[in-house]
Amino acid sequence: MSSSERLRILGYEPLTESDWETGLHPMDDLLRGERLPHIWCQGCGLGTALSTFVNALQWLEKNQEWDLDKVAVVSGIGCTGRIAGYVRLDSFHTTHGRAIPFATGLKLANPELKVIVLSGDGDLAGIGGNHLIHAARRNLGITVVCVNNFIYGMTGGQVGPTTPHEARSVTSQYGNYEYPFNLPYLAAASGASFVARWTTLHARRLGWTLRDALAYPGFSFVEVIAPCSTAYARWNPDGKGLDPESLRRRGLEIMKHYQEVGRIEHDIHPKDAHIKLNEKGEMAEIVEGEFVKESRPNLQEAIDQRDVWAEKAWQRAKKALDERPDLPAQTEHIPRTEVQLGGFGGQGIMSAGKIIGRAAALYDQLESCFTQSYGPEARGGAAGSQVIIASDSIHHPHLVRPGSMIMMSQGAYSKYIPNLAPGGMLLIDSELVTLPDDHRADITTYGIPATRIAEEAGNNRAANTAMLGFWTAIVGAVSQDAMRQAVIESVPPKTVELNAKVFDIGYERGLET
Amino acid sequence: MPHWRQPLDRDQIQIPLGIVHIIDERCKGCGFCIEFCPQNLFIISERINAKGYHPPEVIPDLDCVNCGLCALLCPDFAIYIEDAGTRSPETISLNPKSEVK
Repeated sequence: MSSSERLRILGYEPLTESDWETGLHPMDDLLRGERLPHIWCQGCGLGTALSTFVNALQWLEKNQEWDLDKVAVVSGIGCTGRIAGYVRLDSFHTTHGRAIPFATGLKLANPELKVIVLSGDGDLAGIGGNHLIHAARRNLGITVVCVNNFIYGMTGGQVGPTTPHEARSVTSQYGNYEYPFNLPYLAAASGASFVARWTTLHARRLGWTLRDALAYPGFSFVEVIAPCSTAYARWNPDGKGLDPESLRRRGLEIMKHYQEVGRIEHDIHPKDAHIKLNEKGEMAEIVEGEFVKESRPNLQEAIDQRDVWAEKAWQRAKKALDERPDLPAQTEHIPRTEVQLGGFGGQGIMSAGKIIGRAAALYDQLESCFTQSYGPEARGGAAGSQVIIASDSIHHPHLVRPGSMIMMSQGAYSKYIPNLAPGGMLLIDSELVTLPDDHRADITTYGIPATRIAEEAGNNRAANTAMLGFWTAIVGAVSQDAMRQAVIESVPPKTVELNAKVFDIGYERGLET
Repeated sequence: MPHWRQPLDRDQIQIPLGIVHIIDERCKGCGFCIEFCPQNLFIISERINAKGYHPPEVIPDLDCVNCGLCALLCPDFAIYIEDAGTRSPETISLNPKSEVK
């Protein structure tokens, strides 16, 4: 069912083509005749901005072989936001301020697309200001054309983020006491790689800039100063205010004013790109031109660069994987074995847990699961990690009733000991943990001075390795070879020998016990 | 005032010509074309379109130099220029009131 039939069934008159006869003008190919004439007022600069934009696109199609099927226009809310509806291109009219996030998605999903955001100052610098600065910071490869008419025009002329200081509007009848954004400065400071400003009077130069901006690989920002012949001109002397003589010529009066006060200065610092009013409230100076043109990798190039880097890292990891010794897999059936490790941060409690899991999963070809918990301190706080090993799949990742525990601090001992299963094995660093008088009688306790062993071997940070050797000998859920290989692989290259030695000492002490 | 100094290649210079087309029904009477035409070709016409605006018209017997500024500035897509080749400067009739803007 077509949309017009559906409308007829619902009792609506289907929309008909307007009386705007299309195909008369060379630019009509790129305009949606059924939506025209546009809603913009007599003397508004938006029509000029649109025709300049369409002209630039036609030039690019003709001279740089652009495929206009690969051009997308996104705009937000406001008078300027209607541009997306008037161009016969892939276009989207987004919610207020969200034109740039939508364009970001378009560009990243389909890097071939040329994405252009055409929206007003209230949309891009007001509600969507944050999106503007972050798209510029990322140097996303889109073009943002911000049509600045100094006011919220569609809602009736309220003061906006770009209304010049002391200019009048419906909501600033005695002059705006706020200071406006300097949009080129904002964009350049945020990282835009192409920044320009023109008034609609300089349509030809604006067109040249638009061609460059559209073809620019990085984030390009073009501010277009346009007269608002109804809302801004009514309250300010540039448009001759409420003077009845010029009532129908306010837009033209402002354009003539641009001719007088526009000052073209290319390549200046955007900070000096002023828009100033004089004592009468007239525009006294509008500095325009192309201010910034710098080349740095855009977001897509940066992503591609990282991809190359990630690929290299993956190749390195794969090579290391291939170079691993082939150890015989564990043939015994291991029932679900739970281990709780505890200590303070910096003792290597997390690494010890990971090493157990790695030995079980990679070399003994068992299933293993590792979780961790720790305080907010980076070093010296309480730390705990849990490992589950089994021949069958592990369905529940959390400890239920651990059968063995490795405790390397007094705090961890008091915290975790009630969870140990009756008949379970407790392994402690005998110099760091002092057993209290009411120590549980239904468990077996083993202790070695792991920290002292490691210290004597040359580095007290290998204490966890000694504990691992000790645990492997006593509990036996993971084979000695697997654990030794996992230790060797996990520690820093310089300490491999030391750790292997400490592991062997721990293992022998376990066998002796 | 006759110029006593003339470019050496004056006889080779060709000035482009254009034909102005105005789509009356689209005009909103903003006056941009009348004000900003470098050759001052346009004046307000006596005609009234369906919206009640006076569209512009070209002063008769004057030649357009096909710069295309009016087509670019017109907010309502109501003016376009058709290319009409070139002609030598002697045979072209420009508006004597035109000035460089």
